[in-house]
Amino acid sequence: MSEGVPLGGATAETGRAVREHHRVGLLAIFAAFYGLGVTSFGGNTAAWIYHRIVRRRHWINDVEFLSDVALGRIMPGSGGVNLTVQVGQRLRGSAGPVAAVGGLLSGPLVIVVGLALAYTRIGWSSPIHGVLDGIAAAAIGLTFATGLKLLPSGSARLGPLAVALATVLCVGVLRWPMLPVVLCLAPLSIGLALLQRRNA
Amino acid sequence: MPDDFRTLLALVAVFVPLSLLSIGGGASLLADMEHQSVAVRGWTTPREFADLFAISRAAPGPGTMLAALIGWKAAGWAGAVTATVALYLPSSLVVYGAARLWGRWRGSVWHTAVERGLAPVAAGLLLSGGIAVLRISPGGPAVWAAAIIATVLLMRWPRLHPLVLFAAGGALFGLAGLW
Repeated sequence: MSEGVPLGGATAETGRAVREHHRVGLLAIFAAFYGLGVTSFGGNTAAWIYHRIVRRRHWINDVEFLSDVALGRIMPGSGGVNLTVQVGQRLRGSAGPVAAVGGLLSGPLVIVVGLALAYTRIGWSSPIHGVLDGIAAAAIGLTFATGLKLLPSGSARLGPLAVALATVLCVGVLRWPMLPVVLCLAPLSIGLALLQRRNA
Repeated sequence: MPDDFRTLLALVAVFVPLSLLSIGGGASLLADMEHQSVAVRGWTTPREFADLFAISRAAPGPGTMLAALIGWKAAGWAGAVTATVALYLPSSLVVYGAARLWGRWRGSVWHTAVERGLAPVAAGLLLSGGIAVLRISPGGPAVWAAAIIATVLLMRWPRLHPLVLFAAGGALFGLAGLW
């Protein structure tokens, strides 16, 4: 967790400040999501959105990102697309999600069908399997690095850290269904956040 | 022509309900897609479905782009676009509505507490997603080791572009496959 910025710390101000100073253009939103769509191998859209939209462009901050991730996962549909809808809405109201989702999906749609066409011509071979395994490994690494960086840190944040670790244990290790786990842990964690606010 | 149109309507009829019922994403969605496209509609054979699944994992973008491939198999490019829109549009509208409603309370004590409270849960979900993909990966211990190395490199040098690692991983494992 090198250069770990505390949640709601410096980056909280950065995200909002950038948004208020200049509204992000629709074309810029489309281009940003198109770029991350065609490079987001491994199916972990959220990690790429964090890398490109939060870290590099500072369009939203860590807390906004994480809150959208959580809400996107407990609503119907693909977590990555839901996250994209919410980020687009934050950036540019009703037109934002159209630009963001259009950008995210248009590239991969053409690529995936292109791959299927190529596959019907040449089929799989063992080096291709190898390449896919290598890409998958890097994608998993990106997901882990993103998750670890966003873990709450610091002595004042032991409660939130316990919530995060409990989520990993229940959903990741024990493979309990995600929805009931989130519905139990989220209210607990929100209560903690309210308490900390009162004490502060 | 009417036949093509009927297939497109069938794609809409299959993917719109999936879109709205797929809470929790990923695994449950995949099982339903398989059942519909193989057993109910006969758009693919079981073998073709497995191949399309592998292809969708090789392409960039959300894992659920498999829907586009099923649509393509059933009705060509029009089918691919129809299936994609049918799968993502309904759920996106629901999420958009929720996000707008939610945004109205921005700045209130409750809004801030909920956003901060959800953050650690989301961090846990991200890590759990990585573990889930690791588990279904067919590559075995070599993939586990490479994933850990990639994690360490990205944590140590946050400015490192992930695509560099993707290219290195692909090249390394590709060469190993040639052996």
